Amino acid sequence: MLQITNLKKRFGDKEVISGLNLAVPEHSIFGFIGKNGAGKTTTMKMVLGLLKPDEGEITVAGEKVLYGQTVTNRHIGYLPDVPEYYSFMTAPEYLTFCGEITGMNKNEIIERRRELLELVGLGDEKHRIKGFSRGMKQRLGIAQALLNRPKLLICDEPTSALDPVGRKEILDILLKVREQTTVLFSTHILSDVERICTDIAFLNDGVISMQGKLSDIKAGYRTEEYWLETEKERDAQVLINTFEDCRQIENNKLVLREKDNTIYDVLNYVTNNRIPLLKLERKEPSLESLFMEVVER
Amino acid sequence: MRALLAFMKKEWMEQIRSGRLVILTIIFVLLGIMNPAIAKLTPWLLEMMSDTLAESGMIFNSVTVDAMSSWGQFFKNLPMGLIIFILLESSIFTREYQSGTLVLALTKGLERHKVVLAKAMVLTFLWTVYYWSCFAITYGYNEYFWDNAVAKNLLFSVICWWLFGLWAVMLAVFFSTIAKSNISVLAGTGGVAFATYLISLLPKVKRYSPSVLMDGNSLIYGLEDVQAYTVAIIVTVILCVVCLALSIPALNKKRI
Repeated sequence: MLQITNLKKRFGDKEVISGLNLAVPEHSIFGFIGKNGAGKTTTMKMVLGLLKPDEGEITVAGEKVLYGQTVTNRHIGYLPDVPEYYSFMTAPEYLTFCGEITGMNKNEIIERRRELLELVGLGDEKHRIKGFSRGMKQRLGIAQALLNRPKLLICDEPTSALDPVGRKEILDILLKVREQTTVLFSTHILSDVERICTDIAFLNDGVISMQGKLSDIKAGYRTEEYWLETEKERDAQVLINTFEDCRQIENNKLVLREKDNTIYDVLNYVTNNRIPLLKLERKEPSLESLFMEVVER
Repeated sequence: MRALLAFMKKEWMEQIRSGRLVILTIIFVLLGIMNPAIAKLTPWLLEMMSDTLAESGMIFNSVTVDAMSSWGQFFKNLPMGLIIFILLESSIFTREYQSGTLVLALTKGLERHKVVLAKAMVLTFLWTVYYWSCFAITYGYNEYFWDNAVAKNLLFSVICWWLFGLWAVMLAVFFSTIAKSNISVLAGTGGVAFATYLISLLPKVKRYSPSVLMDGNSLIYGLEDVQAYTVAIIVTVILCVVCLALSIPALNKKRI
């Protein structure tokens, strides 16, 4: 659906994107993950033709994206991180305006407008956008982005500024629209990604450091973690000094990055030296640890 | 075409709901009433003050006013109307850059030149309606109190002034496409208008300057011939087209 090859962009002497490659498959919910300031918004703006790339090529549904006036935008619905509307309009008026500038016919607009306002829960909203809360603005944002049935829906951090209820609403809507379109959304909230994404990509230092199906990535990530809690703090110290893969998280709590079955050596050591343990827990690989690993690398 | 109309409809709705339509209508109606009112009140005011003035040695026999005094006021007050109009409309583009409202419309495939055209057309329409309402009101009162026939080339002189106003509007549109804030728009528009005024002070090049179009008084008193304005009219029309034509590539290049 979306293909980015060798994309580069610098602002002044700072290279924000340095050779980014990305492929978003059709009908996926693609999580575009990265730290604040990693270049997620910059990349998305280049996909939309709002920023000019220094190098590289972007294609949407097989068509090349051009800066400024790009025809590829007719395939795309876009929800910016902080969507700004004409606040003097009401939600139905705004959607009508959007429909008219994209060239939809009158009946289509009326029908689609009702359908979408219903979907995002703004069906009964009669007030002007001026008085909308953030959550309502985001939901209206999704409605306007989906108006002309885009093949690709791009959402820039749709949940970042919302409370848990607002976030859940947005995520549920994104899940619902998956049948109609492909969703690409950027975020740094990993629980959101785990909840709805089918595919993910990590953006770090201007390049994609990992991408693929969420399940594959999680399965392929072999290193596991064990959490170890000793009764005495002194014993924890001893273990840290003996095993270099051990890290201390609290006084008597250790985390062990598993490599080459170190855990058995540790257990051996514990048995031989009769170290009293309070707890030993195997941690499932989480996106969080993956993310930390990617960022630290 | 539909996109252009939709965007114009949005601009129109904004003019109404932001209250600018009401404010500007009131201002231009007031200006229209003020011109004959000031002319009508002048003799009465002078009479009121005649005693005080006599003490300081100034003696008035009698002052006669006619439609000419009122038209004199009309041309004197118009710059204020135009300045208020430009002042209130100077943020018509920049407001959208600053708030980011254009982003959604543009990513929906709205072509940028339609933004320029829609806004320029709405502004032209508004300026024309406000201006001619103000004119019609003054004309009506003048006809009622006195006789408009004394003013020579009246229609020609007011068309000239309207054209000057239109050029100022196009300047504001052009500066709106290159500037980021409405302060720069005002500075640019005001600066260029002032520059043409300075040019018109030089006798040799005076006839090329758009600002001679503001000199309606010379026309209605018959001090200047209609032909003396021809060059300025042509120059101003060309400048209007140039401003609009430059605005389109300027907005195309702009980072939004």
